Amino acid sequence: MFAPSPRFLRDFDWLSFFLIVGLMIFGVVEIRSAQPNLPGLWRKQVVAIGLGLVIMFLVTKIDYNRIFSITPYLYGFGLFLLVLVLTPGIGKKINGNQNWIQIGPIGGQPSELAKIFTLLMLVRYLSLVRERPLKLKTIAMAGAIWAVPTALVYLEHDTGSTLSFFSFFVALLFVCGLQWRWIFTGLATLMLVGYLSIPYIKAGTSYKMERIKAVYWPELAAKRYRYQNEQSTIAVGSGGSYGKGIGSGTQGPLGFVPEVHSDFIFAIAGEESGFTGSILALSAYLILIWRLIQTAQQSRDREGSLMVTGYTSLLLYHISISVGMVLGLLPIMGIPLPLMSHGGSSILATLFALGLCLSVRLRRFVN
Amino acid sequence: MKSAPNNPADSLDGKQQIQLRLEVVRCLAIAIFLILGARLYWLQIKNYEYYQERADQNRYRTLPVSARRGRIFDRNGKLLADSRYAYNILLERKLGKREITPDQFPALIDLLTQHLNIERPWLTGRLEDAMTKPRWQSIVVKEGASASDVAWVKAHQFEYPEFRAEQAPQRYYPFGSLAAHALGYVGEVSKDDLSRQGGQYSAEKGFDYGNIVGKAGLEKSYNEALMGRDGYRRVLVDSKGVIQEVVDQTEPIPGRDVYTTLDLDLQKIAEVQGDSMPAGRGAIGVMDPNNGEIMAFVSRPAYDPNVFSQRSKTPEGKGAIAEYWQDENKPLYNRMIQGGFVPGSTWKLMTTVAALNEGVITPENSKIQDGNIQLGNYLMHSMSHEGFPDVVRAITVSSDGYYYRLGLKMGEERFAKWVEIFRFGHRTGIDIPNESSGLQPTAATKQKTYEAISKKDRQAAEEAPTPEAKKKLIAKAEATLKDAKWTDYDMAASAFGQGMNKSTPLQLMRYVGGLSNGGKMFTPHFLLRINAGTDREDKIHPEMRFEEKNSFIVPMSAAIQDIVKRGMYGAVNSGGGTGGGARIEGFDVCGKTGTAQVASNQRAGSKSKDHAWFMSFAPRDKPEICSVVLTENAGFGGKQSAPRARAIYDFYYRRKISPPADTQAQLTNKTP
Repeated sequence: MFAPSPRFLRDFDWLSFFLIVGLMIFGVVEIRSAQPNLPGLWRKQVVAIGLGLVIMFLVTKIDYNRIFSITPYLYGFGLFLLVLVLTPGIGKKINGNQNWIQIGPIGGQPSELAKIFTLLMLVRYLSLVRERPLKLKTIAMAGAIWAVPTALVYLEHDTGSTLSFFSFFVALLFVCGLQWRWIFTGLATLMLVGYLSIPYIKAGTSYKMERIKAVYWPELAAKRYRYQNEQSTIAVGSGGSYGKGIGSGTQGPLGFVPEVHSDFIFAIAGEESGFTGSILALSAYLILIWRLIQTAQQSRDREGSLMVTGYTSLLLYHISISVGMVLGLLPIMGIPLPLMSHGGSSILATLFALGLCLSVRLRRFVN
Repeated sequence: MKSAPNNPADSLDGKQQIQLRLEVVRCLAIAIFLILGARLYWLQIKNYEYYQERADQNRYRTLPVSARRGRIFDRNGKLLADSRYAYNILLERKLGKREITPDQFPALIDLLTQHLNIERPWLTGRLEDAMTKPRWQSIVVKEGASASDVAWVKAHQFEYPEFRAEQAPQRYYPFGSLAAHALGYVGEVSKDDLSRQGGQYSAEKGFDYGNIVGKAGLEKSYNEALMGRDGYRRVLVDSKGVIQEVVDQTEPIPGRDVYTTLDLDLQKIAEVQGDSMPAGRGAIGVMDPNNGEIMAFVSRPAYDPNVFSQRSKTPEGKGAIAEYWQDENKPLYNRMIQGGFVPGSTWKLMTTVAALNEGVITPENSKIQDGNIQLGNYLMHSMSHEGFPDVVRAITVSSDGYYYRLGLKMGEERFAKWVEIFRFGHRTGIDIPNESSGLQPTAATKQKTYEAISKKDRQAAEEAPTPEAKKKLIAKAEATLKDAKWTDYDMAASAFGQGMNKSTPLQLMRYVGGLSNGGKMFTPHFLLRINAGTDREDKIHPEMRFEEKNSFIVPMSAAIQDIVKRGMYGAVNSGGGTGGGARIEGFDVCGKTGTAQVASNQRAGSKSKDHAWFMSFAPRDKPEICSVVLTENAGFGGKQSAPRARAIYDFYYRRKISPPADTQAQLTNKTP
């Protein structure tokens, strides 16, 4: 079962594979630079990557259609974990987010897995719907599948993760044929609400408001909220064209950029590898996304297509939010950069999902 | 696949729609990556230098390293003032995102007073002052921190990274109060000093809070030489301000060493003599009459300058300093240069030299009547009744009656001229600050003094509550003005040293030095040399020596010189001489006693006694040492002050004639 067949070797997406591995190696190197005094971090990451790659290959080998048969159970398991994380005594609060679960030696962020399971559940439902345009009932049904885990994640006070649920939900509805007038109405409403809430944001003092102000109206924000944005842009900016060199970063290892090994990994990557390294990393992500979109387009069936589309949008969301936050374009949200940030849950969930996507690509030729 | 004919989307099947809409997603992805790429370009290429600088500001901090103050030595290279290293506790005002602001003061003060034993009001003032300074300057919250203070700071480095313990040099005077009034003391430059335009330690001259500067004595007058150039350490800090490594370091350059003319061994003897003064007040100065180099310098009571340099921030040190200021005997007051005393009979040599130069008497014919004299309705007593002594005899026995009459014969005009020639009433120009000039016992001084009193009464009259009181005060003012006239009584009193006369012991020391060497008056001074070195502004200076600028000559012919010496030699060495207590076999000491009548004679207690003077030089023929001893409220000069001079000369003479090994042995015997 584990021995790859010649066909697997021929049809496997080696380009994506090397991009994925390359980004993960870059991530490990930067985790090591970020916390030179905590070698446990990058070692743990290597272990997670090893485990994740095995899972990815297994998932790639399995026909993704078989996944959908157990999807309801996975979805149920995901909901169970999300409830568990909110249970006092089991769930743990980290950096203000109740999103960590610890059972014995094993700990993780259930929301990372729940995202994938919710995505699969949505794909399973939407792939069966063949009508166009989407009926309100369909949207409501999909919404219900989506809303339950999203609400649970929202209760964890994890804004970044909550918003990530929106990314694939909207993307799936979009490719499933959501009518343009609805899309434009939605966008217009969003802009209007955004515009109308500006004065409230400016006057707001909650940490969320402060974080928004820190980026767009820094003069109105409390100093300690501006600090993280400032320090991460300083880190990236001071990298210059070619960077300070791997292991020579100062903003990260000296502690000026907080969470530099996880959510802010791109800050130290930018600092140490400069414009060259940052653009290379971004290009790798872009090619990967390009390839995934291609996979979605070439999929032999609707399930595969939707699944890859959903995951691509989730990946795009994570990359743009995490990098945008590091570059001082977006407010700070606790979002890991897939493949690079430290975090076993994120690595495992990402590789699991990419395995599914690779599986779709592997099986793009209908027999 | 179902299809609804009315819907335009129906022309496409589901798969095509997904593919098309994925193109939109692709465009969105490209757009997002373009924005991110553009932002990277903006940060890393366009504004690289700005962010580079910000990153450096983050992680580098420049910490000043105080230079050690130059040392002060005696003339033989024996250490008088040194520096020891002690710990200061500093507070960093700005650390990453944390910044100390006034609203944090109460908590901060609570913390520090609780753990570091710092006085609350002092700390409050210190923090408030610091708010007017740049944020990058650390605040010294404790000086001379104890080992436990330093341990506390180090133990809490992660909890309170804003505190730092740093070594800093601290002035140390190994002999405590020895020569304290010559050496002076140091302290932190004050707010007033810094803001005083053109002042010695003004901010425009580059002084700043935390600088340790000389506050008195040689520490103050040679502060520029003694202060070194501060160095700095450029350190790498993490976001909490914890120092990671030293990146760059410029070593401080210690201040220049100052060699003084003081003679430590002689000073120790003089100190012992000062300690035994009955009222605990007095002054002793020892000088080389050939160049004005001061060898010993004592003022009693004394203070310990270590209190100022090492304990000024501790409660007990502050108590000690407050006591110094409040003590009625004024230990901080430098009696040698600031005390204005009536010179008494030591003055008679001045009158003698003046009278001989003016021809009032001549070396051949100097006999004048001694004894009491009736001036108007006042009878002036003379202790001596020598008949018609000559001037040498008059000096030897300190004949008051002789000088009453000599003064009257000479007259005020000629007398005043010679007071000026001797430069009494003028500062000597000694190289330590706050010297007072004294008062000339002349008609002009009397006039000025009485006018001032009269004016004061007149001013008081203007504000008098009743017309009667006003009348009274005006009458008093007018009477005072009338009394301002120079009388025979004034002349007689001034001639024998009891007039309206104020001289500092230092002036008398210069005077006796001049008498010993034929009228050459050198500026008394402490500076032997300043080593070559760097000043606090990094300028290099060559070795410097004392520059004599104020020396002058009092005309004294060989005959006059002979009379002075015979008189003073007789006073010490002949029967009936007043200064017999200073006699040393083989070392021809010449001297003159003086007894300054204390104005408050009627008052009871130790202060009612007269001040005892003894000024002298030795040996007679080739003088190499001179001295002045003032023992306050002790009585007669010959009894109280001459033996103190003798002790000093005795040591000096023995050291001179015996081998150095013996000197050493003697020294260890005398100083426990």
